Amino acid sequence: MKMMYQIGILFGVCLIGQTISVFLPIPFPGSVLSMIILFLLLYFRVLKVDHIRQKADFLLKNMAFFFIPAGIGILSSFDLIRSSILPLLLIIVVSTILTFGATALTVQGVITLQDRLARAGKGKGKSHE
Amino acid sequence: MSEVYASPFFGIFLSIFAFETGVWINKKTKSAAANPLLIAVVICILVIKIFRIPLESYNVGGDLISVFLGPATAVLAIAVYSQFTLLKKYFLPILLGTIVGSSVSIGSVYLLCKAFHLDEAISRSMLTKSVTTPFAIAISENIGGVPSVAVAAVVLTGILGAVFAPLLIRLFHVRNPVAAGVAIGTSSHAVGTSKAIELGETEGAMSGIAIGMAGIVTVIISLFL
Repeated sequence: MKMMYQIGILFGVCLIGQTISVFLPIPFPGSVLSMIILFLLLYFRVLKVDHIRQKADFLLKNMAFFFIPAGIGILSSFDLIRSSILPLLLIIVVSTILTFGATALTVQGVITLQDRLARAGKGKGKSHE
Repeated sequence: MSEVYASPFFGIFLSIFAFETGVWINKKTKSAAANPLLIAVVICILVIKIFRIPLESYNVGGDLISVFLGPATAVLAIAVYSQFTLLKKYFLPILLGTIVGSSVSIGSVYLLCKAFHLDEAISRSMLTKSVTTPFAIAISENIGGVPSVAVAAVVLTGILGAVFAPLLIRLFHVRNPVAAGVAIGTSSHAVGTSKAIELGETEGAMSGIAIGMAGIVTVIISLFL
């Protein structure tokens, strides 16, 4: 599909997501709402992936690039955190490792448990035969 | 000289130049520590500091780049859509993983900030470090944090997650790509997800789902803080 249409579709979805986010009673970012809306449009086949494929590939492949201004924004709060920068960095490192480990082990553990239960269920079924 | 860097082209050109330099160094060294985003941010900060360019001037172009964060997050829906069978199959583990992960994130930051006797407002700004920027700004405002500090904590966490994701996968012996993706998204949001996409389609999609779920879980926990 023409690039201009693809960009139009994506920015249109983002406009709707942003608008809904303004009216929600709890903090919920427009970008995540836009992701949910776009998913629903694909799921109910209002849109096909081909309608936005090239533009989406461009955004996904270069996602890190769009975070550069946010990263440089650290400069604006640097005076506030300058005095405690070392403990802050240490806290971020330790907490991120713990969060990663806790999440990964929980997901993996529950999947293993589910598989075992499923197998036990099958085993039981056989013993009744 | 100020006419040059006050134009939007300055911020955009500097960012592209810095990012492509980062990508080039990353390809040359093949090292995870040579993360293109990290290198780009360092180059831009050096240029801004050395030439004494006001942050506002960089942001004339920088803000135009940030606009694309919305659509870039939205198109993760395509990854989620193409991996929907996996999401349905593993919905319970993914949900429990993000709940446990977000709780560990908030709990560990809270305890560590207490241990270091950090300022209350700064500690509260740190609690949202593992959720994506718009979530962090909204939540930190609600719980008495400083939004700009919250954003700094989010970005540092994200870069850290992107750089160390492959190492952490090995450290915790994560063999399942679903578990790896959910862990990356829950611990280091959208910046980590940019790395997860490189690791594989399943990792990218699961990381994308985890951004939204970890954000929602953190919003709910923050209502009690």
